[in-house]
Amino acid sequence: MATPETEPLIEAAAGAFRERDARGAVRFAPAWWDLDDAGRREAFAAACVNRAIEAALDPEGLSSTARAVLARLRRA
Amino acid sequence: MQDLDTHLPGIVGGDPDVFGRWVAACELPLRLGLRSFAATVDTEAVLQETFLRVWQLAPRFEPDGRPNGLVRLAARIARNLAISEQRRLRTDPADPTALDQSPPDDATPALRPTGDPFLRRAIADCRRELPGKPAQALAARLDAGGAEPDEVLAARLSMRINTFLQNFTRARRLLADCLRRHGIDLEAELA
Repeated sequence: MATPETEPLIEAAAGAFRERDARGAVRFAPAWWDLDDAGRREAFAAACVNRAIEAALDPEGLSSTARAVLARLRRA
Repeated sequence: MQDLDTHLPGIVGGDPDVFGRWVAACELPLRLGLRSFAATVDTEAVLQETFLRVWQLAPRFEPDGRPNGLVRLAARIARNLAISEQRRLRTDPADPTALDQSPPDDATPALRPTGDPFLRRAIADCRRELPGKPAQALAARLDAGGAEPDEVLAARLSMRINTFLQNFTRARRLLADCLRRHGIDLEAELA
């Protein structure tokens, strides 16, 4: 169960923005490291809902995950 | 059953718009397929890396004659990446819970219909009911499309990062409450 302390971490980990490391690989969200197992599972569930909402509101049905991936491969 | 391999020629031809349609159709089942790894790896990072690798590997992909070959390849890549990350982080890669819940490598993730017009309309209607700050936080992430960190979005809205995240959480909960009034339990559908 999220607490006032863990809630922002869960929300941050449930976002779609991810940095890349020097090799170009997608890095884990900094907030994800600060969560315990239960918090990580809550972040997963929140991400599922977030992506569904994003895709439903997008004219092309793309979630932020899809948009982030497409932006990266277009830049490559 | 929907066969997303119809997108293969466009993907192999390097058309990102076609790849986007393929991603839109299979993202959810692939994400749900990583549920058993949620406590041990950042599944969002694994999924994004999976899509980037599929894009790179697609020109060399050889269909096996069964539907959704590229989705099955993506499911295998996602699972192998998750296991590889577990090993790198020295968490228990042989966690029986994870293994029991994992599909066999050649399993086709259940593809669900996307673009449900009723759901889209309900979410759009509910979004219009959001109060100012939660609506702003939701719009900021939607506009960013996963390309900017929350810190940048928060600063643009003159919010502290925790305030921004609290507003986003509030937006999701208000949307979920509103959708339930429309007879849609998004969380239950994704469980």
